[in-house]
Amino acid sequence: EKWAATRVKHPPTRLALQHFDATYSGQLGKIWPSVRVALLSERKYGALLNHFSNHNVLEDLQSQGCSDFISYRDEEGRCFCESTADSDGQQPSGLQLSPNIQCFVFPRGDVTRFQPARPDLCGLLSHYLMDAASVLPCLALDVQEGHNVLDLCAAPGGKTLALLQTQSISFLCVNDASVSRTMRLRKVLNSYVPKEFLTNEKLRITSFDGTQWGDIERNTFDRVLVDVPCTTDRHSLMEDDNNIFSKNRIGERRRLPQLQAELLLAGIQAACPGGEILYSTCTLSQSQNQSVVEQAVFVARENHDIQLQVVSLRPLTQMFQNTFYFAPDLRLGEMVLPHLTSNFGPIYMCKLRRLT
Amino acid sequence: EPGSPSSTAASVSEPSLHSLAELGFTEAQAGQIHQAVSSLKKRGAGRDVLSSLTVMLVLGFNCSSVLKLLEKCPELCTVKEAQLQQRINNLRKLGLIEGSLQRTVAHYPDVLTVPVKTVKSVMHFLREKCLFTSQQLTHILRDSPQVVLEDLDQLEYKFQYVYFRMGVKQADMVKFRLFRFTLDEVRCRHAFLERRGFYQTPDKKGQTLIINPRLDSVLHSDLDSFLTHVAQASAEEYRVFQKLLAREWKEEELQQGGIQAE
Ligand SMILES: C[S@@+](CC[C@H](N)C(=O)[O-])C[C@H]1O[C@@H](n2cnc3c(N)ncnc32)[C@H](O)[C@@H]1O
Repeated sequence: EKWAATRVKHPPTRLALQHFDATYSGQLGKIWPSVRVALLSERKYGALLNHFSNHNVLEDLQSQGCSDFISYRDEEGRCFCESTADSDGQQPSGLQLSPNIQCFVFPRGDVTRFQPARPDLCGLLSHYLMDAASVLPCLALDVQEGHNVLDLCAAPGGKTLALLQTQSISFLCVNDASVSRTMRLRKVLNSYVPKEFLTNEKLRITSFDGTQWGDIERNTFDRVLVDVPCTTDRHSLMEDDNNIFSKNRIGERRRLPQLQAELLLAGIQAACPGGEILYSTCTLSQSQNQSVVEQAVFVARENHDIQLQVVSLRPLTQMFQNTFYFAPDLRLGEMVLPHLTSNFGPIYMCKLRRLT
Repeated sequence: EPGSPSSTAASVSEPSLHSLAELGFTEAQAGQIHQAVSSLKKRGAGRDVLSSLTVMLVLGFNCSSVLKLLEKCPELCTVKEAQLQQRINNLRKLGLIEGSLQRTVAHYPDVLTVPVKTVKSVMHFLREKCLFTSQQLTHILRDSPQVVLEDLDQLEYKFQYVYFRMGVKQADMVKFRLFRFTLDEVRCRHAFLERRGFYQTPDKKGQTLIINPRLDSVLHSDLDSFLTHVAQASAEEYRVFQKLLAREWKEEELQQGGIQAE
């Protein structure tokens, strides 16, 4: 193999890297090199345990040396998910994590890979491999017993699956604009969730343009997950196929923040007053993260008379700082930064509560 | 013959203490030589140790340096006198002048275990495929004699990697003694820097947007100063990176093997 001959001139992955170098070095400063090398190296996965499967994968996973990061115990045996009070014991964090969401990860610095999921006797798969940091938005959404939940951009369904694990949702509305991706999502649900949980009384799967949701169904949901399409930084750096940085998708890429803001606004309108909305992306880009949230909050107030409050996710990040590398001092929301020692993310999330 | 207690194989004649003493070795040194020879006996070595030792003495090494050579490279005993002489002459022909020659042998005695033919083919390869000048070849041989033991495919890959990916020209490869390092050492440090954004492949005009660190600071810094000053990373990050990269390479090789097999 000759080096000179194999180099293509402007592959999208290269354009993506140039773009990230230009924007993220300013945004992240001295941390950027560490994030950059992590993005360009093999990512880590987490194994979301499927409680609907009877496969006893738990022991398998434990014997391989990984553990559930959500119920992770520190040296003193303190369980992080139990610590609903801050260390001074004063402010309760107000987060009640569902004990049913379990996600196994290998320890810091361990690069062992997971075995593919196996089916139980009923054909339901034992676990779902996903970026462990993607579980955080689901935890942050804080679904309670009897809630009506909307997952606005749901395919291929990793987060939907995590939400279903809680088994406390009374009605789940799953949507994704892409028909083919919605098909994939159906497949995922069918391979993980028993039919009795997928009935019309409990679940609705649609393929609408999410930006229109405000016109369809307003003031309805207790919880709304808005996991928008974005520049998917990791994918854009690694795969030339279907890459948003390819020349013919420049327009689409430029319109992303606008689309994201419209989706978030629709999600806000779909939530009921008092309801909570979680916005998430898998990009580091400020203009797709913080700026989108600010824009949507502004438009909701100015044009729709909806007052919103940002809900702090600090309790969550404090619980999980042993597993993830969170961006320091973000002015709005929280972000998991990829780092070689715990190569999860990027995941950005920001939580809003509707006051009116 | 007053062989050592371990001397049991009749076919191998070990140098007598007496003859070693005649060459100037002390009794203790002679004992060490015996040990070295007997450890190699199983491999059919030590037939003509005395004359080989003589060659080394004639080359200008004193007894204790000869002993050091044997310690570093016991296989030296297995090389016949005539071959040894040929190999030394060949090194001279390749430009190693007196002084350099001895230093090179002292630093890396294994160079004399390599057949003349092999040395010639490596030199030919470096001249024809990598376009090093004769003088550069002499310097490579002097500073990185281990190059003569490298597999030619690996050598070609290493050269191309450093030339094309890192944009380093022949003169700097020689100056900064590239060939002392294995391909994996070079690639790992470079890939780490490249992915951190501290190293760029020059474009056709040889230009980069950033200033690349010089080859010597990439290769010759010890790990600590490489991490602090060049890569600006933690040791933990580098440890994980090495593991990941090793796996990437293995999988690349498997994939290429698969393609070739098809
Ligand atoms: C980041 S992915 C969602 C990942 C998913 N939540 C999961 O965890 O598996 C974004 C999704 O948004 C969908 N999408 C894009 N535009 C949309 C729109 N206008 N309305 C609804 N969904 C849209 C895409 O098809 C894509 O599947």
